Amino acid sequence: MKDRKAQQPRRLAASVLLLAAGAMIVTGCQRPGESGDSTSQPGTAGQSATTPAQQLEDSGEQMENVTVAFPGSLSNLHPGKESGILNYYAASLTMEGLLSFGADGSIQPGIAQEWSQPDDTTYRFVLDPEARFQDGSLVTAQDVVSSVEQAQDVAMFPGIAAYLAPIETVEAEGDDVVVITLSEPQAGFEVNLTSAGALFVAPAAWTEEHADSVGTPSSLLMGTGPYRVTEYAPDSQVVFEASDEWRGEAPAAKKITIKFIPDENTRLLAAQSGEVDMAFNVPLPQAQQWEDVEDMRVEFANDLSYVGLNFDTRVAPFDDPQVRKAVAHAVNRNAIVERLLHGHAESATAMMTPESIASEYSPEEARVALGELPQYDFDLDAAKEMLAESDHPDGFTTEMIFPSTGPQLGTAAQSLSQNLQELGITLNVKEVPVEEWLATLGDGEHGISYMWYFSTTGDPAEVPAYMLGADNISGYSNDEVTAALAEANAATDDPQARIDALLEAERLQAEDAVNVPLWWGQSATALSDELGMRENTPFVFVSGWGDELFKAVSP
Amino acid sequence: MTARQISTFLGIRLLGIVLILLAISMVTFALLYLAPGDLVRNLIGNRAVTPELAAQVREQYHLDQSLPAQYGLWLQGVLVGDLGTSVRFGQPVTELIGSRLGATGMVAGLAFIVSVAVAVPLGVASALRPQGRLDRIVTALSLVGLSAPAFAVAILLLYVLAYYFPIFPVYGGGTGFADQLYHSVLPALTLAIGLGAIILRLTRTAVIGQLEQDYVMFARSRGMSARAVNTLVLRNAAAPVATAAGLTLTYLITGTIIAETVFALPGLGTLLQSSVLYKDIPVVQGLTLFFALVIAVIALAVDFIQLTLDPRVAARGGRS
Repeated sequence: MKDRKAQQPRRLAASVLLLAAGAMIVTGCQRPGESGDSTSQPGTAGQSATTPAQQLEDSGEQMENVTVAFPGSLSNLHPGKESGILNYYAASLTMEGLLSFGADGSIQPGIAQEWSQPDDTTYRFVLDPEARFQDGSLVTAQDVVSSVEQAQDVAMFPGIAAYLAPIETVEAEGDDVVVITLSEPQAGFEVNLTSAGALFVAPAAWTEEHADSVGTPSSLLMGTGPYRVTEYAPDSQVVFEASDEWRGEAPAAKKITIKFIPDENTRLLAAQSGEVDMAFNVPLPQAQQWEDVEDMRVEFANDLSYVGLNFDTRVAPFDDPQVRKAVAHAVNRNAIVERLLHGHAESATAMMTPESIASEYSPEEARVALGELPQYDFDLDAAKEMLAESDHPDGFTTEMIFPSTGPQLGTAAQSLSQNLQELGITLNVKEVPVEEWLATLGDGEHGISYMWYFSTTGDPAEVPAYMLGADNISGYSNDEVTAALAEANAATDDPQARIDALLEAERLQAEDAVNVPLWWGQSATALSDELGMRENTPFVFVSGWGDELFKAVSP
Repeated sequence: MTARQISTFLGIRLLGIVLILLAISMVTFALLYLAPGDLVRNLIGNRAVTPELAAQVREQYHLDQSLPAQYGLWLQGVLVGDLGTSVRFGQPVTELIGSRLGATGMVAGLAFIVSVAVAVPLGVASALRPQGRLDRIVTALSLVGLSAPAFAVAILLLYVLAYYFPIFPVYGGGTGFADQLYHSVLPALTLAIGLGAIILRLTRTAVIGQLEQDYVMFARSRGMSARAVNTLVLRNAAAPVATAAGLTLTYLITGTIIAETVFALPGLGTLLQSSVLYKDIPVVQGLTLFFALVIAVIALAVDFIQLTLDPRVAARGGRS
């Protein structure tokens, strides 16, 4: 009797521990992305497994407030100050660039109503005469000029400055025309002038007054988008209210309250208690629990993210291409996607995502074209052969770290570690805070690491230029690759030639096995059944998702 | 103790506090400097960084200077009352701490009040009847309280008191005093359970310790009433309990990180944690100094309480 009594608290304590085990995966402030998990039928290249936006009927009614849960806080509302994917999601409600993205990824007008490119390096934008800032003032060309100049200032906006570095001059012609000149031609440069890229147009006078405090609780943001920020408390919430100055149709949600709830169990509990209408980046292992929440559903969409292995070619033993190839053959991409990611991703065959070349290829064609690049299929015998030919035939011991915000990267690394054991390679996998992981990129000390990249613009050159261009984190230099990237850059009026050149760069690097693509990610978004989204594509969340929301007719 | 003695005591203690704060600020600065991570990368993010760009950012935040030089710059600011500006938030450190002090202060204060109000009487009651039914129940409960990790307690409280019985809110800080207090209940309970268990154990031990003293036996043998004896015992036990309770407040400072994360509260704990990871030196330094100062002031207050509770301490000139 006495014993049984003593067991009860113990059993209780045990169940408490079990309950709480999930809480141990602490979500940090997510710079490179949250649990950007994804979905798909693994290995079925040619099939995107994105769940289409659920077909709900629009009631046409307005909603007083939509509560959205973010898995991490924002330290600053301006993506130039903190360029995390969540910052882009939030800022896109308020800020616009000269141009914008359509749901299909095509470039659309933003503040500029029309634009032209008189020559390779000159862009001319005519501003929309209806565009007004949330303070009621009309957008002038001078506002755009000052916004561009500020975006180039690394001291002010370290997160975006590099993207607008190619701009040599930016000038106003009268009140409604802006002319931007680049120092040299750069194909696809327009994407940087969207709010998914690096341009967030604010009134010149306002920015001057708030130069030191833009994006903080005391200054907030001022833009031309459909919502204005009315309140912001880091680690707590940010509130958006529909702007009376918005030139488009009034959005259905009058107010959007984004709550920062870092603990994934608390977030789920908040949804179960009916306190959340929408949740971004639902962690993959929790997706089923979210689906089980009454009156909620989870929509998956490709999120333009890329996950791959990255080798530092300056660090032994990964300076030996045979070692890199051996490791590449030991990765079982399809199994990772199928078993570890439960199909919520797509096996990647390149750094470029299929969506990024959508302008020239259908989804099927894109997957075929990218699949034709040199691939390292899972083959431990081939891996052993490669290793035997290397300078390290007996294997070696090394470490691989992954950011704590991406537990799925950890499980994938464990699976690789297991495979490598058969080659005599000991791979120690270590979880670190995302900030620590960031600091190791290209530090010349970590031979094997992850690249986890969220492209906001979906531009095909975004990842290849980062991973293969000058000062790349791999210390990789290959004249042919450099030439291919330059060719892509110069192909300003021929998108196909540009993609061909980028494919060539990918082919060359694949032969050298510097980056080994693993998967293209998907984001999981939980939505209340009363809340519909007209479009749920990779581009919607970085280009003003607020007016895609509607109140659904009750079933 | 004369007024002169008290002012000398106070003067020495305040000087000690200043020296300790200085030492702590040096150690924290050096540790953060050596810790893994790179502020430049955190600012620029997972993006292409040219050496020129990195150098420019490094210069902007004086990261290109030596550790002593960087510390000197920071100390210069502090001496004129400027704790600096957060690199990550772009807000002055004092403003940042001020905006979050309320949430943490309320949770920590509530937790302290609840744990003292519950644990001290329970500890005394169980000490007065050792091995009695109450003592056994209370001892078992305090064991659970001591060993249950705060994050587990937090999740359990959430499920029970916010989900199955929706009495309290699941997350957030609330607006307005009453609402903030309401939002602070569960996080405060999370901390109070662990803290209460410690205080309960200490109270029980202190009271039992006093009950075993010779003066208690003499008092009883001289026929003093149980009530009068207990008053004597409690007065003598009060000094160690007050000391311990004051110092356990430091437990709240670490505990609040967990409570704030689980309940999504915008407080100082999460601020400290994320600032350390980000290497946001001005914030970490400001918070460390603030916490150290709070602890020092608590310790000082505890000593004063000792002075009033225990005449022997006063007789020794404030040295307990």
